[in-house]
Amino acid sequence: MKSLSQKSLRLGLLAVLVMLGVTASTKAQTGRIEMGQLDFLAAKASQTVDVNIDERLMQLTARFLSTRDPDEAKVREIVNGLKGIYVKSFEFEHEGDYSPADIESIRSQLRNPAWSRIVNVNSKKDGSVEVYLMTTGARVDGLAVLATDPKELTIVNIIGPVDLEKLTQLEGQFGVPDLGIEQSKPKPKKD
Amino acid sequence: MPTKRFASTGLVLLLAMLSGVVSPVRAKGDDFNTAVRIIEQFYHVRHKSLPWMARAGMKAATTAARISGGQRKRIAEAGSVKIAFFEDQDFSSRGRIGIFKSSMNGALMTSWSPLVQTLSSKDEEQTYIYVREANEKFQVLVVTIERREAVVVQATVNPRTLALLMQNPDEMGREITNDATTNDND
Repeated sequence: MKSLSQKSLRLGLLAVLVMLGVTASTKAQTGRIEMGQLDFLAAKASQTVDVNIDERLMQLTARFLSTRDPDEAKVREIVNGLKGIYVKSFEFEHEGDYSPADIESIRSQLRNPAWSRIVNVNSKKDGSVEVYLMTTGARVDGLAVLATDPKELTIVNIIGPVDLEKLTQLEGQFGVPDLGIEQSKPKPKKD
Repeated sequence: MPTKRFASTGLVLLLAMLSGVVSPVRAKGDDFNTAVRIIEQFYHVRHKSLPWMARAGMKAATTAARISGGQRKRIAEAGSVKIAFFEDQDFSSRGRIGIFKSSMNGALMTSWSPLVQTLSSKDEEQTYIYVREANEKFQVLVVTIERREAVVVQATVNPRTLALLMQNPDEMGREITNDATTNDND
């Protein structure tokens, strides 16, 4: 017969595992990419940019921009509903100053099944631009951009209902760099 | 003429201080002073108070700003601005720029949110912008460090001003610092 303490221990362990699972699952579903593991690259980079606009600040922007001024109204519409914009960007002096292994922490998060890579994305710029969307059913929870070239690395993470069109509208604003993103258009049918 | 410039700068500074728009480093134990102290300890430099700067012919500290489209408005709420200048001193990080960043964040991030941080190790330029809520308004703390000078500015801004500045966070630190250290008449 198992002692009471053994049963308590198992129950306690089970409770901890359940809580850890819930926490991990919740974090995974927020659309937020953890970018802190890249901070070590700042020591190698010639230039580093970090932008952190959290939900409170996003709401503030949506609330206080004018609905009468057309430019402000447009921005207000773009940011409405967004829960955060996070950007981390590194420029390096030489090729090879960072390696693919350095960004594995980001890629491993994007391998979560909730994230899917949008395939019809091109960039006018050199290097590679990968765009990922996190969805829960039909709802979009977030977007992540991983832009890499031999001397530059940029990660953009937008939380909330966002799509490629919104991303292109945000380029150059709120710390989102100009990624040169173009959506592929369907080819016209030949007669 | 330098003498004329010193006199007019001093006068504007005096008026700014009397009107309560600008105050030199004062309250001990606040985060503004913490930021100033971290810079002093890390780089072995000393900040200069505004009356000294006035004598040295620095530009007056006012809070007029150009936001969105060139219309001149005030960024900071009256009486809310604190400024510390570091002029003509050595801010070489000697490869330890990341350590400085960690020190600054470690000291401030318990009560401030880091909005923008840019580091350029090659040019020895750093900008840190922190934000926190203050009742119905927001406080912004901007630390700008270059090779030979640095400025720490803390200001309270209204939510709409912050919303406008946030559209271009890369320029936000420069906007706040420039307008806090430039004479309206310049």
